[in-house]
Amino acid sequence: MERLDYDIRSGDFNGAGAASRDLKQHLKRIGAESDAVRRAMIAAYEAEMNVVIHADGGRLEATVSDGQLDVDVVDRGPGIPDIPRAMHEGFSTASSEARALGFGAGMGLPNIERNADRIRVTSTVGEGTRVSFSVMLRPEAADHGARPSSLGTVPELCRDCRHCLVACPTAAVRVRDARPSVMDHVCIDCTCCIAACAPGALTLLDAPGALIGDGGVLAVPPALLAGFGEHPAGTVLDELRGIGFSAVVSVHPYEDALRRDVLDRAATGDGPAPVISPVCPAVVNLIELKFPALVKHLAPLASPWEALQRDLGERDATFAVSCPSQRTALLSQQPTAQRRTVTVRLVREALLPHLAARRPAPGDGAPRPQAAGADDLLVVSGVSHVLAVLEEIEDGRLGGVTAVEPYICDGGCFGSPLLAEDAFVAAWRWAASAGDARDGGQSLERSRPFRARPGIRLDADMAVAIRKLARLDAETAALPGKDCGVCGAPTCAALAEDIVMERATQALCPYVKPEEGTAS
Amino acid sequence: MKLEEIARELGLSELTPAVDGDAEIARGYASDLLSDVLAHAPEGGVLVTLQVHLNVIAVASHAELAAVIFAGNRRPDEDVLAKAVAEGISLYVSPADTFDIVGRLYALGVKGNHA
Repeated sequence: MERLDYDIRSGDFNGAGAASRDLKQHLKRIGAESDAVRRAMIAAYEAEMNVVIHADGGRLEATVSDGQLDVDVVDRGPGIPDIPRAMHEGFSTASSEARALGFGAGMGLPNIERNADRIRVTSTVGEGTRVSFSVMLRPEAADHGARPSSLGTVPELCRDCRHCLVACPTAAVRVRDARPSVMDHVCIDCTCCIAACAPGALTLLDAPGALIGDGGVLAVPPALLAGFGEHPAGTVLDELRGIGFSAVVSVHPYEDALRRDVLDRAATGDGPAPVISPVCPAVVNLIELKFPALVKHLAPLASPWEALQRDLGERDATFAVSCPSQRTALLSQQPTAQRRTVTVRLVREALLPHLAARRPAPGDGAPRPQAAGADDLLVVSGVSHVLAVLEEIEDGRLGGVTAVEPYICDGGCFGSPLLAEDAFVAAWRWAASAGDARDGGQSLERSRPFRARPGIRLDADMAVAIRKLARLDAETAALPGKDCGVCGAPTCAALAEDIVMERATQALCPYVKPEEGTAS
Repeated sequence: MKLEEIARELGLSELTPAVDGDAEIARGYASDLLSDVLAHAPEGGVLVTLQVHLNVIAVASHAELAAVIFAGNRRPDEDVLAKAVAEGISLYVSPADTFDIVGRLYALGVKGNHA
């Protein structure tokens, strides 16, 4: 691991760029891929310029490890009162001096976001701002360890209730100083912490003004179409067209196509049984992280959203996503046309006033037909059930099942915590709703194979990892085993890992007496 | 088309003879907003701009541009030239305005990102 450290001086327009230039030399020396170097440099330079333009000075720290560049730029300065707004292109508070030099066009943070694989901005008004971002230095590195996550945090909304700690299936969340943070190397981009967080400190964020009907295509999930009480899906589609999109398409034909493809593959009996559908990107992430032996069970297909995005080709489109993992999956495809993602929550809120003015009209047409062979499909939803079924498959205890369709959310995508209607009610309404165009979807082969993700290993070097494992056992034994969450980690084992990985100290545990070093 | 041929066709004054002009130029970008340049300028391309300060070179280097043409007869300081030579970026100046320079580049087959 290599660590680089630079001072950034306020107002030093001529010296600006020194840190990013030096960083570039380092990255080239270690053989980083050239596109990654370019993206890293643009992000680092923008972060550096932000300090020069806005702050009273700051530091840029960069670490390179395991094919990943992590940059942390911390400044002392005015802070950012409204981060989502600052992330929006065109918004700027730069001085006229900065503007005269061609900066301050409100593109700095959006530029970092566009070029980094992950970005997190936190700020305290009157104190300063921290911009952290990561760039995967080798294309395949994106399949190892940390990966981009779309989960957003609004730390100031945190009530310190810590429900998120327990909810997270991979122990990725920590709450310290009443601020939630998510460890990207184990986050699977699911909705568990979002569902557990009543105040909305952990959520999927929308950029302000993200829902602009500028004549492009709006893509929506069935759960949105069936989420307006007795209004049939057709009515909802009508109203959606009215808010300025040239066309509104539903993702369900692609869900159906994926299901057919998975069933076909299961029917041939080639490959390991059961075949697991990659319909839910969060479950795919879970399998890659915690069930590496099951990676070969995953049908090598893209998620329905990705298949739809591919079919839209060069058309501009906005995708109404139900969870972080769908957003990440869409963005990871590197689309060629202008693409936006918004949350289903935002679209629903925009539509409510329109539908409130309409009397529910009965839909027409027959109820939705089931895909052929669907009787052979085991559909499982909800994180605890998914974990149980994956364990059964791993242990060879799930005999007789040829195809599994797992969803992290309770009730599948109908159960997204970003939607208001109960999952079972919405699913029922959808099943009973009129059969509009449901063909035309197709499944899509993945361009990159699924891969086990070593996010939970203690060190890239196995000898070091073994030493850390021994320390982990000792640290765990020294803790009380109450799993109380007071330290901000979900379990004593998680705190022990934090201590070994130098993310926390034993002093966070209220039960360990400092002089004894063990729990009383 | 090679950079030096472009310079000849457009009657550009070369400011950095120390940098060789045999780079093949296929794409270009015109903007005075440096973040915009960073975001959109094509790798290996030429930039037409009015900005002549040191940050232009930093941006051109990060965006991996081959050359910068300063429009409207704007000339950078010596330290800017020295930096450009160090980074291997060719600098040119033209009395023509941005619009005319871009138009003539286009006629020579240098296109933008989407053409």
